[in-house]
Amino acid sequence: MQGSRVLAVDLAGDSVKARNGSMVAYDGQMTFKRMSGGGEGLRGLVTRRITGEKMTVMEVQGQGTCWFAERATEINLVRLSGERLHVEASNLLCTEATLRTGTEFTGLRGASEGHGLFTTKVEGQGWAAVTSDGPAVILRVARGLPLRVDPGAYVAHTGNLKQSFRTDVTWRAVVGETGGESFQIEFEGDGLVYVQPSERRTFAGDA
Amino acid sequence: MLTQINSKMVEASVVPGQRLFSQRGAMLAYRGEVTFTPNIMGGQGGIGSMLGRRIAHEDTPLMTVEGSGSAMFGHGGHHTHVIALAGDTLYVEADRLLVFEGSLQQSTMFMGSQGGLRGIIRGQATGQGLFTTTLTGHGAAAVLAHGGVFEIPITPGRPVHVDPQAYVAHRGEVRSKVSTSIGWREAVGRGSGEAFQLELTGNGTVFVQASEEKL
Repeated sequence: MQGSRVLAVDLAGDSVKARNGSMVAYDGQMTFKRMSGGGEGLRGLVTRRITGEKMTVMEVQGQGTCWFAERATEINLVRLSGERLHVEASNLLCTEATLRTGTEFTGLRGASEGHGLFTTKVEGQGWAAVTSDGPAVILRVARGLPLRVDPGAYVAHTGNLKQSFRTDVTWRAVVGETGGESFQIEFEGDGLVYVQPSERRTFAGDA
Repeated sequence: MLTQINSKMVEASVVPGQRLFSQRGAMLAYRGEVTFTPNIMGGQGGIGSMLGRRIAHEDTPLMTVEGSGSAMFGHGGHHTHVIALAGDTLYVEADRLLVFEGSLQQSTMFMGSQGGLRGIIRGQATGQGLFTTTLTGHGAAAVLAHGGVFEIPITPGRPVHVDPQAYVAHRGEVRSKVSTSIGWREAVGRGSGEAFQLELTGNGTVFVQASEEKL
């Protein structure tokens, strides 16, 4: 990690998976190979096509240091030791080769966030790099203390969390007089939620 | 003297008898008696230099800053980075140059002179054009970048490859050329998005921005 916007990865013959085109510099010997369908095999490719959670990933392999960055967004490192990280495909920058990725159904929440009904899950042991627009805050959710997040500011979450969709649409919303916060995602259980200090344009943001 | 106030603003102290050149319209505030004169020539040198820059499209409008006091510069919310030169040369695109001291010698360099035909291809492939601006001497310059700037040292025998869109500037005895890794994958549109790289070899430093966006 170098600064908060550039990720430096030291490789010694091993490989990482990174978003297509996110390399800014490298020294030593590196090869870049595009992996179709996020490197999940034929089934993964088909699933990603259908779900719209499309992700173009390249495999970076070699000796030396490789630097990654994405549109000057902040990079958060997440250490996974067997648990599962749920993240939007557009926020996933780089994962170690030891991690597996897949798609998952999220239901109505996804639609309100404006990226569709599916999200990406990352599992295994290793580091994953997640981008956020501005430095992300990590909020803990404990039993009995649910957390509500604006769908546009949600980045990722880990742990054993149950998510549900909340609205407080009243007659005011119908006539266009709202606080702009009619939709939220509610997290219950035990885990961590990553929230960015910026809101994507979402369907819910307009309502 | 250029000092970084925060990541997006630099302050320059203006001393009588010493001129500064800055991108036109980049002044944010000033203290004391400071005058800003548009520089028709677009920098140092005479008519010849001006024509050179016009032809080379390295003629970003500049202004001369004179007087006594201090002036603050910034542009478009981009990050700034101050580079102090001590006799060596900085290679930078003219539109990335925010402010530099008059003690630095400014000139335009033809890319083709470094690597011949390959140099020309390099300029075209990376969208940087055929020419670049060089600053030589003792003094400081501030460059603009989208996202923060980080430095990667270049040492002999350890070349550094940079994404052309993330490249900001470089200094020292460095040779650059385009290296391609185009295979059949690129030809069928399944590339990794990293087909072109700038390969920098020699002895010096390269400045890279944390983004692949142009200014």
